[in-house]
Amino acid sequence: MKIFLSIIFFVFYFITFAQNKNYFSAGIESTAQYYVDDDKTGDFDEDNRFRSNNYIQLDYGFRNFKVGVQFESYAPQALLNFSDSFDQEFGIASYYAQYKNEKIDVLGGYFYEQFGSGLIYRSWEDRQLGLNNALRGGKVSYTPTEFLLFTGIYGEQRIGFEVSNGQVFGLNSEINISANFESKNSLILGLSYVGRKEAFENPASMIDETTHLFSGRLDYSGNNFYTKFEYIYKSEDALVEQGFVFPDKGFTGNALLWNIGYSKKGLGIDLTFRRLENMSFYSEREASGNLDNELLVNYIPSLTKQHDYGLTNIYVYQAQPQLSFFPLNKAGEIGFQIDLFYNVKKGTAIGGKYGTKIAFNFSNWYGLDAEFDDINRTYSSEFLSFGDKYYSDFNIEVRKKWSDKWYSIFTYLNIFYSKKYIEEKIGNVNANIFVAETTYRFQKNKSTRLVLEHLSTSDDQKNWASGLMEFYFSPSFSIFASDMYNYGNDQDIERIHYYNFGGSFSKNHTRLALGYGRQRGGLVCIGGVCRFVSPSTGLTVNLSTSF
Amino acid sequence: MNMIIKLNFLVFSLLFINLITAQKSIPNITLQGFNNTPVEIKSLTNNNLTILSFWATWCIPCINELNAINGYYQEWQTETNVKLIAISVDDNRTISRVRPMVISNEWEYEILYDKNQDLKRVLQITNIPYTLIVQNGKIVFQHSGYTPGDEELLFKKIKEISFKQ
Repeated sequence: MKIFLSIIFFVFYFITFAQNKNYFSAGIESTAQYYVDDDKTGDFDEDNRFRSNNYIQLDYGFRNFKVGVQFESYAPQALLNFSDSFDQEFGIASYYAQYKNEKIDVLGGYFYEQFGSGLIYRSWEDRQLGLNNALRGGKVSYTPTEFLLFTGIYGEQRIGFEVSNGQVFGLNSEINISANFESKNSLILGLSYVGRKEAFENPASMIDETTHLFSGRLDYSGNNFYTKFEYIYKSEDALVEQGFVFPDKGFTGNALLWNIGYSKKGLGIDLTFRRLENMSFYSEREASGNLDNELLVNYIPSLTKQHDYGLTNIYVYQAQPQLSFFPLNKAGEIGFQIDLFYNVKKGTAIGGKYGTKIAFNFSNWYGLDAEFDDINRTYSSEFLSFGDKYYSDFNIEVRKKWSDKWYSIFTYLNIFYSKKYIEEKIGNVNANIFVAETTYRFQKNKSTRLVLEHLSTSDDQKNWASGLMEFYFSPSFSIFASDMYNYGNDQDIERIHYYNFGGSFSKNHTRLALGYGRQRGGLVCIGGVCRFVSPSTGLTVNLSTSF
Repeated sequence: MNMIIKLNFLVFSLLFINLITAQKSIPNITLQGFNNTPVEIKSLTNNNLTILSFWATWCIPCINELNAINGYYQEWQTETNVKLIAISVDDNRTISRVRPMVISNEWEYEILYDKNQDLKRVLQITNIPYTLIVQNGKIVFQHSGYTPGDEELLFKKIKEISFKQ
């Protein structure tokens, strides 16, 4: 047996490395936190003050074959606010084997995939959010010509180190129907189907255990002008409220997305309209609306500008695709977003010597206009009519370069945030936020960045002020200190400084970051997916490297 | 028997060393081009000198980096023939902002979409901005983050590599 293994090793070694046609990569990412008691936000009263999330990813490719595995370790326990399903100190989290040539791509194991915009199906990984909804099963793609793509998927969805009870399967096709492949114009037709099969616990249910979603989309892209249209129909599925499945209440759903834009040198305009009705979709019905964002089948991001500063991330919209009668009447959302990019030319009064860049963004989201019968749990909705207002964000950003060494960015936001509909709490928030940041380079590779922010509102927690200072000593080494202060809070004890300081060091493919501070509790959103976190204070170490 | 174990150990060590020291190459992953058509990243980087810059519309340092390089890009191209491919990792939340931002900013780069982060994942990139220099399909330099002035170091590196050729 051992001789046999040795021979295999030898053969493997010589085939792969003698020709050097292989591909190998290994990546390690590790985040460790140590939580301390805090006299302002409270003691840490859970198990394990020290916790860590660790990922080791290995990929190996040879000619048309590729294999990979991801180990995950949550030792002694996953970081605060991560799902309890990440419950192993060390385990194989995912693996795959793949064969890919010019026409065929076949994969067995865990995989990530997206159909079209992801509104019908998307599986992806976001380690910061603790989100990984890869399917475990199989995927086949076939590209007979450059104009055609067909993909089929089947599997169960990953949840922690387990998989879902429900099965997910789908077909996707993309057909390039543009007359001339070489031209800059393209017109692509996409047709997709996704199904989810999960038996009902209640055998008396009259609703089909399989829910079907169909999507049709058209994507045109020309020289300056582009547009994209998508419509999705979801077949009847059971109503789920706060984890309870109603086996006799079935509703269909649908989604409509339209994006249109025009751009030329110095000017870009983009407009997106979206309407969602009863479009939440999970691989297990009971998971509907779960706070850890597990078992999501489709991707419904909030279509608002993703801001990059501390105070601009306190009141963040979360898309509202779900149907519910209790505690609130909701059937979905409707709204739009506009973006405008404009460059003021050099040499003009506003443009100055280096030009000025202006970005304007406006998003406005409402509930569907619908009549609800709470007793029988039925409803009827209007198609193009706006209901209660959920959120709006009007913002403008001006980038100004003063000299070769010095530039600034000024941002203003006006936000309306319905705490009632987004968080299912009481009240609304109207807030104005100003941000000014400036970066100055004082030596060849040394620079400093200062950010000042102010949020003013007479609602909720009232006013905030914030500051951030960074020093870059070289391309590989920087330090920062920041503070967010809720100075306007009505309650004396709630006027808390959320201070943080730390540094990072990076060299080639290794990055080490160290930080100490107090985190604000509330909604934390990354890439349009949000989760609630409790406040914490402590030390964080993050290391990532790859070979 | 002992001999075989030793031999196995030797082969395994060689294998491991070889794996770790082997110059990483660009895997064959299909991305989307600016007009939504599929593009093989491997074939784009196989026979030239290329900078791959991973960015997103919501990442301020990424935009700073691409704006900074844009001022020198023509000069870089004439001197070293280098080409920059800016790979957007925006997902569907922000992807519609890519096109107006690129064109209004007059970026001359080739733009590709990695909308479900397939290439980013395989290259083990955890933070953006992330910049790689690729010569004939092999990764010869990589750097994470951007601070003002990094573009000068990047160009120094490119000149070193292209003159060695």
